[in-house]
Amino acid sequence: MKETYTRYERARIIGARALQISMGAPLLIRTSKIDPLEIALEEFQQNVIPITVKRK
Amino acid sequence: MYYKMQLADKVRVPPHRLGEDLTRVILDVLQEHLEGSIDKEIGIFIAITKVQKIGEGEIVPGDGAVYYDVDFEAVVLRLALQEVLEGLVVETTSFGAFVSLGPIDAMLHVSQISDEYINYDEKNARLICQESKRFIGVGEPVRVRVVTLSLNEREPRDSKIGLTMRQSGLGTARWLEEDMLKEKEKEKERGGERGGR
Repeated sequence: MKETYTRYERARIIGARALQISMGAPLLIRTSKIDPLEIALEEFQQNVIPITVKRK
Repeated sequence: MYYKMQLADKVRVPPHRLGEDLTRVILDVLQEHLEGSIDKEIGIFIAITKVQKIGEGEIVPGDGAVYYDVDFEAVVLRLALQEVLEGLVVETTSFGAFVSLGPIDAMLHVSQISDEYINYDEKNARLICQESKRFIGVGEPVRVRVVTLSLNEREPRDSKIGLTMRQSGLGTARWLEEDMLKEKEKEKERGGERGGR
């Protein structure tokens, strides 16, 4: 089942992933982009980010 | 005494190692972090041997790292007061001898070596008992008892462990052997007397 995230959750996931990338995490897609935030956005659009949200 | 322990901890996996094998990375991080460190309750960490269970990872705001709950197996040395140990003399000084217990050195003060007066023979690096002429030199195996324990968690090297040999059954291997022979001879004498009657 594909999860649907709120805009806050999306921001948190993309933000966390961008920080990971900026700190040297390996990329999950092939891209020509350089900015970590843009790479994270692209990864999110392709649905490859291995991060989920724990809802309380 | 050495213990094999099951422990649980939170481990920070840095982002630049996320692509690697997780078990391997976690083992590395744990080893880097814990080996050689001291915890007052657990003891001195000697080695992290196995990662047993890796739980769910968590991402904390402000840090790109992932934090995993991990169960792992470690070998620790937990010294107890009054514990009897065997070690090797690594250095002698005018105030006593340093005894290696393996992962850590301990101090055997001159006052705790024997009931006799002790002289320090600087040339031969030996501590000599004045009356019986027994001595302790570098490299000798000794049996000792732990009498003071002051472990420093922040600076493991500043930890102080005090030993004693001033009790029967304690001493260098040679002393113990001599004592044993004496004891046997005494027993023989006693046995002979009884037989003669």
